[in-house]
Amino acid sequence: MKPFRFRHGDVVARLDPAEASVLGLLLDQLELLLEADADDVAGDPVLERLLPAGHRGDPAAAADYRELTEASLRSGKADDLATLRATLPDGGGEVRLDPEQAAAWLRTTNDLRLALGTRLEISDETEPPEDFADDEDQQLAVYYWLTALQGSLVDALVAGRAARK
Amino acid sequence: MAGPLAPERTPDTTVDEESNLDRPWVTIVWNDPVNLMTYVTFVLQELFGYDEKTATTLMLQVHHEGRAIVSSGPRERMEHDTSRLHAYGLWASFQRDS
Repeated sequence: MKPFRFRHGDVVARLDPAEASVLGLLLDQLELLLEADADDVAGDPVLERLLPAGHRGDPAAAADYRELTEASLRSGKADDLATLRATLPDGGGEVRLDPEQAAAWLRTTNDLRLALGTRLEISDETEPPEDFADDEDQQLAVYYWLTALQGSLVDALVAGRAARK
Repeated sequence: MAGPLAPERTPDTTVDEESNLDRPWVTIVWNDPVNLMTYVTFVLQELFGYDEKTATTLMLQVHHEGRAIVSSGPRERMEHDTSRLHAYGLWASFQRDS
């Protein structure tokens, strides 16, 4: 991977073929989860993290909030997913994003990190894996790869913001 | 005129409710182990127009104290702010200021 950089108003990165295919698979999984039948995924901790309660301690206020906002939160995530699919190079290569596309990448890579981080029960003490002995190590490696990707995207957007001043 | 049909004075709850109405609602961001510090700062600037210093101070408060109030005002606006933060994956909620 060549991390994101700010270039002439866009942000640009380069993904290896394997990285592009892993990201594509993660997008599929996120989409499946978001489109799953509510009864099948009731109480799923990842979904609870992606669509959190708006009020803590007042179930009625939390229910009102959900009624008011969940549909648009879900459709925003679906739009972002579509943007990533449209801008993710099949088989790897350059990713070049305008500011709106970059915002979609920012939110979706964050959702993927939240999803993986919740499944893997990431805490402040979690360290990157030293080898890839089992599935969990591999998923942890993917989590840290996403962290590097998203971190570079944030830095590139901050650089872009400074350049506009 | 304190006949049997005269309305009783309602106890102090009215006063309490009035002072409740004066208290604003707030939007809170809670600490979580996944969101990057740079990301939280970036999102606070993006959504609320905070300068870098203010956004960084709020982010550090979330990180060290577990939570920070990022906006305050009428309930509807706090619900809206909460949903904008949720769209970016920040762990946010609204409540009456305590």
